Amino acid sequence: MKLTPTVPTGCNGIGNQPPRATGFQSAWSLVLLTIFFATGCGATPPAWFRPNMVKATKEKLSAQREQQVATIMLAMFGTPDDPVALPETGLDEAKLRLAAGPVRSNIVGRKNGLYREHCAHCHGITGDALGPTAAFLNPYPRDYRPGVFKFKSTERADKPTHSDLVRLLKNGAPGTSMPSFALLSETQIEALVEYVKYLSIRGETEFNLMGAFFELEGEEDELPLGRDFLVGEMLTPVTEKWAAAAGARIPVPEMPADLDLVASVAKGRALFYGDKANCVKCHGPTALGDGQANDFDDWNKPIVEWKKEIAGEKDSKFLARAHRVLDGDALKPRTIQPRNLRLGIYRGGRRPLDLYYRIHAGVNGAPMPAAKGTIPPEDIWDIVNYVRSLPYELDGELGADRPMVARDRF
Amino acid sequence: MPLIGTPNIVRSAVNWPHAVACLLVAVTALLLGFGALVTTYDAAMAVPDWPGTYGHNMFLFPLTQWLSGPWDLFLEHGHRLLGALVGVLSLLLAAVTWRRDAAPAVRALVIAAVMLVIVQGLLGGMRVLLDDKTVAKVHACTGPLFFAVAIAIATLTRRMPAALQINPPVRGVGFSTAGDSRLLPSWAVGAAVPKALVVAAYLQLVAGAQLRHIDATITIGAFRWMVVTHLVGAAMVTVLAALATFAWQPHEPVSARRWSWLILSMVFGQLLLGAGAWAFTSGVPVWLQGLWTPTEAVVARSPRGAIVITGHALLGMMILGSSVVMALEWGSAEALGGLIGPNRRRQGVAR
Ligand code: HEC
Ligand code: HEC
Ligand code: HEM
Repeated sequence: MKLTPTVPTGCNGIGNQPPRATGFQSAWSLVLLTIFFATGCGATPPAWFRPNMVKATKEKLSAQREQQVATIMLAMFGTPDDPVALPETGLDEAKLRLAAGPVRSNIVGRKNGLYREHCAHCHGITGDALGPTAAFLNPYPRDYRPGVFKFKSTERADKPTHSDLVRLLKNGAPGTSMPSFALLSETQIEALVEYVKYLSIRGETEFNLMGAFFELEGEEDELPLGRDFLVGEMLTPVTEKWAAAAGARIPVPEMPADLDLVASVAKGRALFYGDKANCVKCHGPTALGDGQANDFDDWNKPIVEWKKEIAGEKDSKFLARAHRVLDGDALKPRTIQPRNLRLGIYRGGRRPLDLYYRIHAGVNGAPMPAAKGTIPPEDIWDIVNYVRSLPYELDGELGADRPMVARDRF
Repeated sequence: MPLIGTPNIVRSAVNWPHAVACLLVAVTALLLGFGALVTTYDAAMAVPDWPGTYGHNMFLFPLTQWLSGPWDLFLEHGHRLLGALVGVLSLLLAAVTWRRDAAPAVRALVIAAVMLVIVQGLLGGMRVLLDDKTVAKVHACTGPLFFAVAIAIATLTRRMPAALQINPPVRGVGFSTAGDSRLLPSWAVGAAVPKALVVAAYLQLVAGAQLRHIDATITIGAFRWMVVTHLVGAAMVTVLAALATFAWQPHEPVSARRWSWLILSMVFGQLLLGAGAWAFTSGVPVWLQGLWTPTEAVVARSPRGAIVITGHALLGMMILGSSVVMALEWGSAEALGGLIGPNRRRQGVAR
């Protein structure tokens, strides 16, 4: 593998972009550039991938080691303007190119830079959820780097399928600031999904690399640069999981056609409040989401724990560095709220099937546990039916005089 | 601002400077609308070259391809065509004002307008050729500045009663009427508030431009600072508009008072649109969700959202333009007060 670090140069990194100006235009640019530089170089800096500073600092990586990881990452994944997809990633570079880079069209009607147009201000250029608006959003945008996704049709620990991500982009996550992109074309959505995967694979690989120094023997100070190590040990374990997702759909039993809805809802209710499913523990006796509320999700928890960990740290230089990173490269930890189930707003979709997946597999990354294993598949449908009745239930009771809302039947 | 009118030597003749200035204001408003839409749809780079359009001379780009092409291209190319039209109109304005022997202040403004329109065109070109968001922000701030100048020219070229064309009296002469003041000392309302409103409305627009041309590479802290600035600015604009409306002096012209009401209502609309723009771009804040929780996700690029977001940007520019008119008319009260004294001060300036 060839490692050639390219340092972005100039005010705008224009040096890195393919030539696109004709002679006439270059003359114009020259005039304009003169005016521009006369007024001082205030040009926007080029976009760059922000290293995972929390991980690097946790691992106490030296500047030299940080640099080595950055160099490897550059060679394996390229830059935000110029993405690279090694064949092992299974990613389609053409799609990535549509999503990457600054927003622009070079051909009438084809818009590049979709990720920066639609997503980066929230999810960040790097997909680290450190976009400028992130701190204002609750919940925070998804940090793709740990490779953990919530709303999917696969088992808890598995990656989402391609169509899960497409669905999510089309529907958005109601109840959060994650918008629906239903008005984008199929090609654009495909490109964006590919790019999300790219950022996620990139983030997990970087995480692996930063953790790998730990295993270096004796005098070694650098990670091995061989393909075996970089691709075989660092990248492939990540990409294999993505490749496996397609075949990892949760098997869902048919809901019985002659289902007695009232009986099913009653059974679901018993399970909801029962010891086995114990939904009540978090979602609360009123299902308003007011049960256990002092937990953190998998994105916030490491920050909380790290904060505790460094509280006892003696090395003041390291402490200063850690605090700098906590301020600039991490969001202020927030507890996670179990969902208010009386609103009828479901982030992962409101089809009965979506709720089945959610209850079966739980919500990955969040404390919401999987019912799989404790509750038989058919009974999960009963819980689904009960959950779906909750927004319409009066005083927590399903009155005999109040049949299920007709439009809500399936 | 001293009061200057076009000398109406021949009263019956068409007041060409005013007519052309009004046309310029109207076309500029349309141009600002296109510009705001270009920002909303992130369409600035829909045409990658400049001054041509996809290799064509801008004016020869096939009409059908423009009108039936993608929305982004329609916006960006349309914005360029309108920009060119505004440039031509500015030159025309310069020609007719020169021939009409306009007042020095009008001349100065016309020169400023011509220079601004040239700079604005070049900035537009730089934004595209350098593909740079910083230039885009500057371009977004210069546009409304030009609009304000055009509006000032249109206001000052109106026909005024002959008495008002005499040089204004020394500042302060007309303000021996301290007892008239309602909330503030008369000098403050009489002079400072409308002018401060112009400045505040413009700075608010600059802050808004930072929010709209958000660059994903900026830090969370920088963005937070911009949001706080924009909110503080909104408070300032609201307070100043309210002061102008409720703390006017009895001797202010009637029309200036009408403008103040118009501005105040626009500002309230603007606060609502601002909240809407936030909701469409960043969702409803959690602390507000107790009041209202949307059951569906916001649809990115939906016409509804685009109208609210673009409307907020445009209304902000209209607030600026209206405050310029009000500030100029307000100034005329100083002249009027000094000229005709407190007894007739309620009469106001005839339109
Ligand atoms: C206004 C901010 C915002 C924008 C713009 C935005 N997102 Fe999100 N996104 C969010 C938030 C907030 C969440 C977290 C939802 C949650 O945790 O329940 C999220 C979650 C996600 C997830 C994770 C879903 C899961 O199953 O865990 C993906 C993938 C995603 N967004 C992709 C995108 C893409 C691609 C775009 C651009 C086309 C985009 N987002 C634009 C705010 C945004
Ligand atoms: C340990 C606490 C906990 C338990 C037990 C629990 N949940 Fe949850 N649940 C949560 C949290 C936290 C969330 C919010 C996850 C997120 O941020 O997306 C949630 C979310 C949900 C959602 C919303 C999914 C969506 O798409 O928005 C549903 C439905 C749900 N839970 C149902 C249940 C049911 C049914 C049970 C019992 C089988 C249950 N939960 C048990 C904590 C819990
Ligand atoms: C009277 C007060 C206000 C004025 C005059 C004003 C003016 C403006 C203007 C002119 C712009 C666009 C700038 C440009 O495109 O160049 C803008 C953008 C914006 N303003 Fe305001 N604003 C006001 C109040 C508010 C309030 C109260 C909010 C609420 C949060 C708000 C939120 C926003 C947002 C979110 C944007 C960016 C929209 C986008 O992303 O495209 N504004 N404002």
